[in-house]
Amino acid sequence: MSKIKLTSKRKWGIIFVSPWIIYFLVFLAYPMSLAFKNSFLKINLIQPEKATFVGFENWIKVATDGLFWKSMFNILYNQSIFIGLAFIISLSLALILTKIKFGGSIFRTIYFIPMITSVVVGMLIFDYISSPTGPIQQIMLQNGWISEGVFWKTTKWLPMPIIAIFSSWKWFGIQMIIFIGGLAGIDKQVLEAAEIDGSSWINTLFAITIPLLKPQIVFVMTMNIINGFQMFTEVFINFDLLGGPYNSALTPVMYLYQKGFQNMQMGEASTIGILLAIVIFILTKVQDKILKVTE
Amino acid sequence: MATTITSSENNSRHLNNKNKSIKILVNIILYGILLIGSIIVLYPFFFMIMNSFKVGPEIMNAPLALPKSINFGGYTEVFNSLNIPRLFFNTIVIASSVTVLNVLFSSMVAYAIVKQDVPYKRLTRNIILASMMIPSVLLLIPTYTMMFNWNWINTYRVLIIPVSLSAYNIFLMIQFFTQIDDAYLEAARIDGANEFTIFTKVVLPMAKPALATIGILAFMGSWNDFLNPLLYLRSDTKFTLQIAIFKFRNAIPGVHIEQLWAAMVLVSLPVVIIYFFMQKNFIKAFTGVGLK
Repeated sequence: MSKIKLTSKRKWGIIFVSPWIIYFLVFLAYPMSLAFKNSFLKINLIQPEKATFVGFENWIKVATDGLFWKSMFNILYNQSIFIGLAFIISLSLALILTKIKFGGSIFRTIYFIPMITSVVVGMLIFDYISSPTGPIQQIMLQNGWISEGVFWKTTKWLPMPIIAIFSSWKWFGIQMIIFIGGLAGIDKQVLEAAEIDGSSWINTLFAITIPLLKPQIVFVMTMNIINGFQMFTEVFINFDLLGGPYNSALTPVMYLYQKGFQNMQMGEASTIGILLAIVIFILTKVQDKILKVTE
Repeated sequence: MATTITSSENNSRHLNNKNKSIKILVNIILYGILLIGSIIVLYPFFFMIMNSFKVGPEIMNAPLALPKSINFGGYTEVFNSLNIPRLFFNTIVIASSVTVLNVLFSSMVAYAIVKQDVPYKRLTRNIILASMMIPSVLLLIPTYTMMFNWNWINTYRVLIIPVSLSAYNIFLMIQFFTQIDDAYLEAARIDGANEFTIFTKVVLPMAKPALATIGILAFMGSWNDFLNPLLYLRSDTKFTLQIAIFKFRNAIPGVHIEQLWAAMVLVSLPVVIIYFFMQKNFIKAFTGVGLK
């Protein structure tokens, strides 16, 4: 009797878990194996039957491709500014919002609005606001802070920091709320004890609060690295596929898009995808290690 | 003696007053920062709404000014330039299908992993957790090749089926189900309910808050997605709102640019309205991420 019941229970278990099995095999495992296979082929999307095995040719090509490394540099440049800026903004606002007594929920509601806006709409607005005829540069011109309009999108160094400012505007809200959650979990007595011992607030912040926020910081950093390094829409919307005249807005995913869908070189594009995934994996591990060591 | 007491009282009163004024000053600074933050956050939206009521040349020449007169031209004209109802229809069909499938599948799988008898349970669970770390860029090209070979290009289903489930959503549901007491399920089992009825009649109603979380994440992800529609949609009768806005931006001449701003307001409005009604759920959805 109990045996029959068990098998029927198991039958239901298998039925319930089957969407994952199918999804995993069809949309994760199989494409992943295909990515590795493609990286050793010269393969054109339109004529896949003509694919030829080329060994490590794609890997060597990508590894020696200046533009690929330029795109890697760009995203590192962008992310180091974004991660730092967003961290400072979101942690400061989280600290303020846990300190004040009234109106916190109103500010939280407001600060979360960029989160729900699409990157397309957000980036289009931002493009107009930051353009030479837009309000920010107009104010700067009127006050004489700049002598003429800056076409930042075609400059060598400005695109990545300015996109990092946009990304901070868009994403600080979620990071802030994660930090507020972490701050709420910190034992008030610990902070009070530090205050009685005469610890200044800045000292308390670095010696007690930030170390206690480590789980939240690790989570935020990991998410930032995984999502941020795959930036595409932000640059695709406002730049050509080469990321402007100096390739200063070319990101790895945009380079992959260009290789795969403009030049139809699926093998090279797959290789770029794998390399970027490896870099992301290494960075999340390194970040994890660093934060563990400081424990 | 008496004088020393009064002087110390005076002193402490003085100190209290000083403390109070420092406190007020600190509060003024803190609220000041919060207010400036709010202005920076809200200004782009204000700018967008203002522009949608201006006329083209005004947008380019007077970026700081308020509209000279409220002009609804952008809103009426954009319905002639773009098939707005069709775009909304496409986007809603895709986003709601993605939402329903994600809610259904991720709760089924998580329920099986937590409460049911599944072979290789631990392994399955670990694979799900590890899958959260796979960057989607790795799958971009191969998935495209697959879809191309299946002839799924320029269909609704290409934007629905490949994102009908995600490891992250299952992970969120697993966290929720581990909190549910087995006693509820046992009681239903003793009453003779089969696993399917238990799931639909007992488990899902209990899981409503978690389902709202999954639903919001899936809906927002699909509604705001740009890369997948860009890759897979070809004809403008199939376009979603985001891709249509992008194409429209490159096609619209500057004198009629107010239409673009009106379109952007229209695209953002539904999500903002849903957000204000389900605020708590939204904030939880994006942050209820295993940080307990």
